[in-house]
Amino acid sequence: MKIKRILIANRGEIAIRIMKTARLMKIETVAVKTAAEPNAMYLSYADFIFDNTEDNSEVPVFLDIEKLIAIALQMEANAVHPGYGFLAENAYFAQKCIDNKIIFIGPSPDAIYKMGNKTIARNLALKNKIPMAMGSQGNIANEEEAIKMAEKIGYPVIIKAASGGGGRGMRIVRKKDEMEKMFSIASKEAEKSFNDPSVFIEKYIENPKHIEFQILGDTKGNVIHLGERECSIQRKHQKLLEEAPSSALDDKLRKKMGSMAIQIAKAVNYYSAGTVEFLLDSEKNFYFMEMNTRIQVEHPVTEEITGIDLIEQQIRIANGEALKFRQEDIKLTGWAIECRINAEDVQAGFAPDPGKIESLSMPTDACVRVDTGVQRGSSIVPSYDSMIAKLIVKGKDRKDALKNTKMALDKVWIKGTKTTLPFFRMLVRHPKFQNGTFTTAFIEKDLEKFYYNSEYEEMLAAWLAIKLFVEENLSDDSISVDYKNGKELNPWLLNKRISQF
Amino acid sequence: MANDKLQKKKLYALSSENRQFSFNLPLKHSIKIGKREYDVKLKADEKLGTYILWKNRKYPVEIVKSRQNKYEILFNDISYTFTVETPFSLQRMKVLTAGKGKATTEYVKAPMPGKIIDILVREGSTVQRGEAVVILEAMKMQNEILSPANGTIVKISARPGSNVMKDDLLVEIKP
Repeated sequence: MKIKRILIANRGEIAIRIMKTARLMKIETVAVKTAAEPNAMYLSYADFIFDNTEDNSEVPVFLDIEKLIAIALQMEANAVHPGYGFLAENAYFAQKCIDNKIIFIGPSPDAIYKMGNKTIARNLALKNKIPMAMGSQGNIANEEEAIKMAEKIGYPVIIKAASGGGGRGMRIVRKKDEMEKMFSIASKEAEKSFNDPSVFIEKYIENPKHIEFQILGDTKGNVIHLGERECSIQRKHQKLLEEAPSSALDDKLRKKMGSMAIQIAKAVNYYSAGTVEFLLDSEKNFYFMEMNTRIQVEHPVTEEITGIDLIEQQIRIANGEALKFRQEDIKLTGWAIECRINAEDVQAGFAPDPGKIESLSMPTDACVRVDTGVQRGSSIVPSYDSMIAKLIVKGKDRKDALKNTKMALDKVWIKGTKTTLPFFRMLVRHPKFQNGTFTTAFIEKDLEKFYYNSEYEEMLAAWLAIKLFVEENLSDDSISVDYKNGKELNPWLLNKRISQF
Repeated sequence: MANDKLQKKKLYALSSENRQFSFNLPLKHSIKIGKREYDVKLKADEKLGTYILWKNRKYPVEIVKSRQNKYEILFNDISYTFTVETPFSLQRMKVLTAGKGKATTEYVKAPMPGKIIDILVREGSTVQRGEAVVILEAMKMQNEILSPANGTIVKISARPGSNVMKDDLLVEIKP
């Protein structure tokens, strides 16, 4: 193994995920300690820690290319794993690593660049005859041009950031008079998030399913797929729950979409792990959306049904090894569901709810896997994402996986912040989720209530409120309420007495 | 003492959605469902913190806010707000609120902390329910804050470029 020591250019659960596999492969790891979370759990998994707490820079270290290269060199790490987010899809960072003789655990800078620029990616797909939604050939310069293009392809259309991803800089436009406003929002958001205000326009596919294929390629030109994941449960383009496989695909469609995914990957000589995203409409037509050139948050569901450790494969491929399996060796067994348990307030439009985790307990059943970067006492800090844990549950088929997920969700115990747990408890009981017919519009269109509570929960909460009231106000005899005839206590007087407490 | 029976010792918990739960005093540590009484136990331990034990299951509970007779309770990760009322105060409240129920001002508040990017309405302009009134940037996302009602903008408290906290008042709408 050429790779001896890996700098983890990331934090949280994905840093731990990478370090766990590295340890199994007897490769050393370096983690970066930051001032934002100096006691983070991921630090305890590293063989070496680089202390960056004195860094006063405005830019977080995980986005600071020069700094990360310097750390890798100083700590004698001969490889870097970027995880997801931050610099994971930054071609310049990948190139900088190579220039400094550091192995970048990911695809080539060229592949990152081409797939990262949605306009180039679209043209590549077009050249390879991959089905795509109708759209602009290149970027759209202004509102007038946007209106012209939208009229040509027909409303509704979607504006997307050319350098985008993760739902930022994306806006749906249903009629002409919304265009001006939406164009400006999308463009501003794109500039803010990706340093690039350019946007393009595509026909908006109504109520599709989000289906993505996991790709593995090596540096010898072999590319295979590991089946699909369905990620249709999303809110404002942010995924909340993913599963593998998808109930919308049969073997024939899987084969067809899988071979298209391989084809697009081969068009950029792709190696490492990657994901090709498609939209699938109700007639089972599919459209290429984009390729993500990184390990994905939801990669565990694929690992659970294929038995393949994707991080290990990324490391082996970066090490120059050929893939040890061919397409026909890949067997999908069972069903896996991942719930992203985030520190968010479901009752307040999923607003982030950062805070300290006061207590945390996760199910330990054999069908459950938990990927997390926090433990009791950890903080969910506003400067990073709001993820607490990924709850990954397996079953022998979808029905079984659903049953197990329902059971596992009731065993998760988190105190200190509000979480997305009530949302998932509702979801697993929803008929449309159970029968698999949901689409990306599910949360916006099919839901009236975003959380689940069993019949007596509100009543029990009411009991507790009464209990507190009694203890705070009525336990002392001197102020106990006298309800006897003629002696009814004036509520204003009662209030006055309460306020003395 | 016939009046004792008439005027039962009771307290009411009134939810923010106007659901009413009544409990007899002294408060028992059990709740009757149909013909059976079920124990309710409020407990706490080192590992789990405070919880309620009900029908052999533990539910995490937390008191988020307690102010005068108003309580916000977090029960099994869901928040509930109650006011605790006596039979008399409940009666009085019903009388006071009987005349209300129409044409009150709608207050549009910030659903999360963030920065005001743009205000899409002016004072005096009319809005439709669901129309975007403010663009708020939070967690790098631009969020459109929508009008909860059809009406006229009577006051704009938000300023473009300013930072707001959760629940800060943004816009007032008169239906």
